[in-house]
Amino acid sequence: MEKILTKKSFPAWIKKLQSYTVYSPEKQENLWSYEVIQNPDKLNLEHLNTVLAPKKIIYPQREIFLQFNTSKEGKPQIKEVLPEEHPAVIFGVRPCDAKAITLTDKVFGEEPKDPYYWSRRNQTILVGLTCNPPPSPNCFCLSVGGSPHSKEGLDILMTDMGDKYHIDSLTKKGEKLIKAAENLFKPASSKDKKELEKIQRESEKKIKREVKDIKNIPDKLKDMFESPFWDEEAMSCIRCGICTYLCPTCFCFDITDELTSTLPLKGKRVRTWDTCQFPDFTMHSSGHNPRPDKASRLRQRMLHKFQYHVENYQDYLCTGCGRCISLCPMGIDIIEILNKVIDHE
Amino acid sequence: MNENIYIPKLAKIIKIKEEVSGSRPIKTFRTQFIEKNSFSHQCGQCAMLSVLGKGESMISISSSPFEKDFLQFSILKMGRVTSALHETEVGEIIGIRGPYGNNFPIENWKGKNLIFIGGGIGLAPIWSVLHTALKKKKDYGKLTLIYGARTSKDLVFKEELEKLNEKMNVHLSVDVEEKDWKGYVGFVPQNVTDKKPSPDNSISITCGPPIMIKFVIKALEELGFEDGQIYTTVENKMKCGIGKCGRCNIGKHYICKDGPVYSWAELKTLPQEY
Repeated sequence: MEKILTKKSFPAWIKKLQSYTVYSPEKQENLWSYEVIQNPDKLNLEHLNTVLAPKKIIYPQREIFLQFNTSKEGKPQIKEVLPEEHPAVIFGVRPCDAKAITLTDKVFGEEPKDPYYWSRRNQTILVGLTCNPPPSPNCFCLSVGGSPHSKEGLDILMTDMGDKYHIDSLTKKGEKLIKAAENLFKPASSKDKKELEKIQRESEKKIKREVKDIKNIPDKLKDMFESPFWDEEAMSCIRCGICTYLCPTCFCFDITDELTSTLPLKGKRVRTWDTCQFPDFTMHSSGHNPRPDKASRLRQRMLHKFQYHVENYQDYLCTGCGRCISLCPMGIDIIEILNKVIDHE
Repeated sequence: MNENIYIPKLAKIIKIKEEVSGSRPIKTFRTQFIEKNSFSHQCGQCAMLSVLGKGESMISISSSPFEKDFLQFSILKMGRVTSALHETEVGEIIGIRGPYGNNFPIENWKGKNLIFIGGGIGLAPIWSVLHTALKKKKDYGKLTLIYGARTSKDLVFKEELEKLNEKMNVHLSVDVEEKDWKGYVGFVPQNVTDKKPSPDNSISITCGPPIMIKFVIKALEELGFEDGQIYTTVENKMKCGIGKCGRCNIGKHYICKDGPVYSWAELKTLPQEY
């Protein structure tokens, strides 16, 4: 269902969505972040890449799994803590970040399903925005099977057309949002559709960075497991882990217990994001570590994204958002690494 | 929604046996679930044990699936959770979730000779499959155990090992010479070479420290065992147990669900990163 919404009417639409928590990108001290909308009239959808992807709303950096305590008789008790009911709409989702959610959907959706993830995921509606211009100089979605106007994973795709938005409703969830304020929308004319096509074509041309020959990457990587290449590439890494914490597709996590009291015992078990870039990630309690150095950990990050995940799920675990490049303090560049892999003898 | 996979079931510790004392202590725990549930395991599978407040640790189940009254775990005191487990007493309550992982394909081994080769605490995962085979002894050929540890004090299941001698061939070893030791002196792989188990119609199952496994496989290959006749288990740090937390992988495999049991034929095709 294709509609047109004037920019002037946009706040009125948001105001009709009171039954949801509505998120959109907000600029805070020069950095963009998905936050709950306080004032729909001040909404701004001209955002650059947010520091964290909207993944954080569905799969938060820290969440409680269960609470435990001991009863007066000394018997331990465990109480499951599932996320509260929380219907949410996220506006301004970049197509790469929506695609990323389809990837984590597969991991957390494989049996046995992850109940925490799905409780939030099922209640979240994703409203995307065509990237025109690209939100980062390091965007490379076209290289990994995406595009600046990809609909994958989205419920609605909005495209900025000057003083109005083209609104493409893609799912039942999307329809529902439009029905909440139906009179604000006009049907898209054939002229609008032509205009849209032109914008989308242009948006693709604005993506400047590219991985060459990506189809051959998984096979190439397979043969490079033992290569000293990884030592060279990991040399400058300061193992801060930011590449993985900011990645919209990275899903690895830790489970730990946090105590609030020891006598009587009281505490919670929490899940937190974790990263393959930390030595502790794989270190056995004996001290043995299958991935003992920066080289083996960079190799794991690259091979997980471009070989193992492809073997397991037939898709790259990367959507080309460019965050890991833009925000690496040492300038490690995943596109450069992949292009070197292709040229590797 | 289905049952929440991350919520452990409470279980009571009904027996604790000190297997090994000293700086690398090992204790065997028997546990019983407080409430009946559908937990049912196969040989070689693991369970995630919880000490509330300390966390979780993946431990292989050393009791046979034929044993319905309890689950048994033999645990080397090593990290935060295993140290906490070593401080527990009979009657205390822990959490258990699982079982996790694949299992030894013991159904396919009917009619074959089984050679169990263990080092140190590596006898724990073997114990489950060994007892399952013993229980159905007529289904299998000759059963042999080659087992060793650093010193005689580090051998687990000592009393049971003595009794086991009556039912199957048991070849014990210690790494260095000691007074009154009548068994073999040397490393486990050397003992394998010394005892020369025949590869004819045989399957070997080896568990122990990674370095021991590596040399046992070499010794078996020299004796003429083919890759598909050699089985082992792999360990890695684990958190979720269901192939989601991302840390126990060897290549595309998550050990918690695609392992821990591998034939050498399979394992050698994966990146050697474990």
